Amino acid sequence: MAQVEFQNVVKSYGAFEAVKSVSFTVEDGEFVALVGPSGCGKTTTLNLVAGLLDLTSGDIKVSGKTISDLDPKDRDIAMVFQNYALYPNKTVQQNLAFPLKMRKVPKRDIGAKVAEAARLLEITHLLDRYPRELSGGQQQRVALGRALVRDPQVFLMDEPLSNLDAKLRVQMRSELKRFHQDLSATIIYVTHDQLEAMTMADKMAVMSGGVLQQYDAPERIFEEPANTFVAGFVGSPSMNLLPATAVERDGAVYATGDGWELVLAPRNAASARASSGPGIILGARHSSLGLHDTETPGCIQARVFTVEPTGDITFVHVDVGDSTFVISVDPERRIAADQTVWIEFDQNKLHVFDAQTEKRIAPG
Amino acid sequence: MNSSTGRKPTPRGLFGRIADHRLDYLYILPAIGVMLLVIAYPIYYTFYLSFFRTPPSLAMSDKVFNGIGNYITILTSESFHEVTINTVVWTVWSTFFATALGLGAALVLNRQFAGRGVLRGLLLIPYVISAVAASYIWRWIYHSDFGVLGAILNRLGIIDGKLNLLDNVNLVLPSLIVVNVWKEFPFAMIMILAGLQTVPDQLLKAARVDGAGAFHRFLHVTLPHLKGVMVITVLLLFVANLNHFTIPWIMTGGGPAGASDIWITQIYQIAFGRIRFGLASAYSVILFAVMVVIGYFYVRALTGNDDVRRRG
Repeated sequence: MAQVEFQNVVKSYGAFEAVKSVSFTVEDGEFVALVGPSGCGKTTTLNLVAGLLDLTSGDIKVSGKTISDLDPKDRDIAMVFQNYALYPNKTVQQNLAFPLKMRKVPKRDIGAKVAEAARLLEITHLLDRYPRELSGGQQQRVALGRALVRDPQVFLMDEPLSNLDAKLRVQMRSELKRFHQDLSATIIYVTHDQLEAMTMADKMAVMSGGVLQQYDAPERIFEEPANTFVAGFVGSPSMNLLPATAVERDGAVYATGDGWELVLAPRNAASARASSGPGIILGARHSSLGLHDTETPGCIQARVFTVEPTGDITFVHVDVGDSTFVISVDPERRIAADQTVWIEFDQNKLHVFDAQTEKRIAPG
Repeated sequence: MNSSTGRKPTPRGLFGRIADHRLDYLYILPAIGVMLLVIAYPIYYTFYLSFFRTPPSLAMSDKVFNGIGNYITILTSESFHEVTINTVVWTVWSTFFATALGLGAALVLNRQFAGRGVLRGLLLIPYVISAVAASYIWRWIYHSDFGVLGAILNRLGIIDGKLNLLDNVNLVLPSLIVVNVWKEFPFAMIMILAGLQTVPDQLLKAARVDGAGAFHRFLHVTLPHLKGVMVITVLLLFVANLNHFTIPWIMTGGGPAGASDIWITQIYQIAFGRIRFGLASAYSVILFAVMVVIGYFYVRALTGNDDVRRRG
């Protein structure tokens, strides 16, 4: 297994830059998720590692050695594709053997390695079948087996679970995680599903518009998002963002908006003062907000838009000025649409972003 | 629409089901009528005539029942043996080379390069020009005295003197096959090009990552994917070549000494040269039987991988 180093990686198509100077390091044995919305450059980045695309500038190193000018077949990297990309005219056995055959591995070794991979993934009974005779989950396993059989330095996975139904996806998620733990394989995993990234990865690289927004452990990204994009993208429902103006009055800092005002606790006041201008954005997760039916001091008045019960938790959507907030409440709470409510902020969990740069300002 | 179509379908025989849908048949009646008139009746009449000896005067009332005499005459004649070999050579090699050349051209056109559209247009020219015009042009190109091919070969010093292609019993058929391949390879090219454009990109990428070079990607991904379209292309070309008339008839008329005679030119000669409709009919029936067999495989290839037929 190996370490993968991205150094100022750029990929452009004419004037369009799909990947803009991305740098980060995947340590040996780490499971890293490249996550972001469609068109953020995550799949492009993965294809650059695989060698299916050529770098415009920058460098990618595996175990300290540059691979940028190597052909895909010489990179010792395996890839699992979104639609599995199994060879339809080959049996499972032949699919698994193909990468070994292409590398001129001796025949008896091929048989042993295929059998071993099949045993690991519990697909031994499927070896004589053709891909079209397999279910989605089985095809996924074969695709994984075809990558595994080569014992590559790095596994690349391009949304491998997105073609599966919801139930199977959850199951395969835990299996993939187990697979990673058992093999301590270096895995770079592309997904648009932040939940998948959160649950599986050791580290997440959040991308948007070709730019690496944040690279850190999932819980750190969740707790300390680098900017409003990451804050809005990671976590479900996403973080509530409320644009406000910071006003200093009588030694305290107030965040004010369209018809509301909130006095900031000292830690958040310090952040607001550090902002490049008076414009700030308050960020609060649904779980750090409380709802009151009656007017309560230190709370913001809002109007209920809809109520979404999900069973063990109920999400209440409320309108605050032009913004919509999602707040989670106990399912026993009776709240009706159009009701007037008061929102309470847990200031220890409140985030302050600079409205100009959209970057988070660490609490003082 | 029809009161009976609303009924729940009950297991019934063929005629019962036809009766259930009798109104539907009315809608396709005009088409069926025309088909019966221009296809079914001539086929029937050809079958019928193949058992008669017909007079050269074409007074069909004077025809004499001959049983399978015409068939025996054909199958035991020496020329049938020769013509059949010519037909097989003509059909198989024309199909093979047209497909191979079409595959090559399609692979080239499937790549990105400047002038691809122009090249595709140029390569299509042989297919779209009239077979009669092409035959006359090639007859001039091959001409032993004034042909441009002979002139070029002389200039290059490859041959010295006359180039005898269409007058040479050994070279005439290959020369005609060259013309035929030139004429029909663009068809194979277009078919295969369409197939190439549906090769899944992810499969090719997977093969690249798996370590397959260009040749192995072609062998393991592209070619298996093209199998269906290739089978159909080959069958269509095979049928077209078996039935081909224009090029051999215009360029050589089957000569010299029958060296380029194939079934279809032979049939034409027997029917309209020697005015022996009965014998020509029997010949046609033999050709028809061969075509039916090929047609069966064609339909099977077309519908083989989907369940249209099973659903009925």
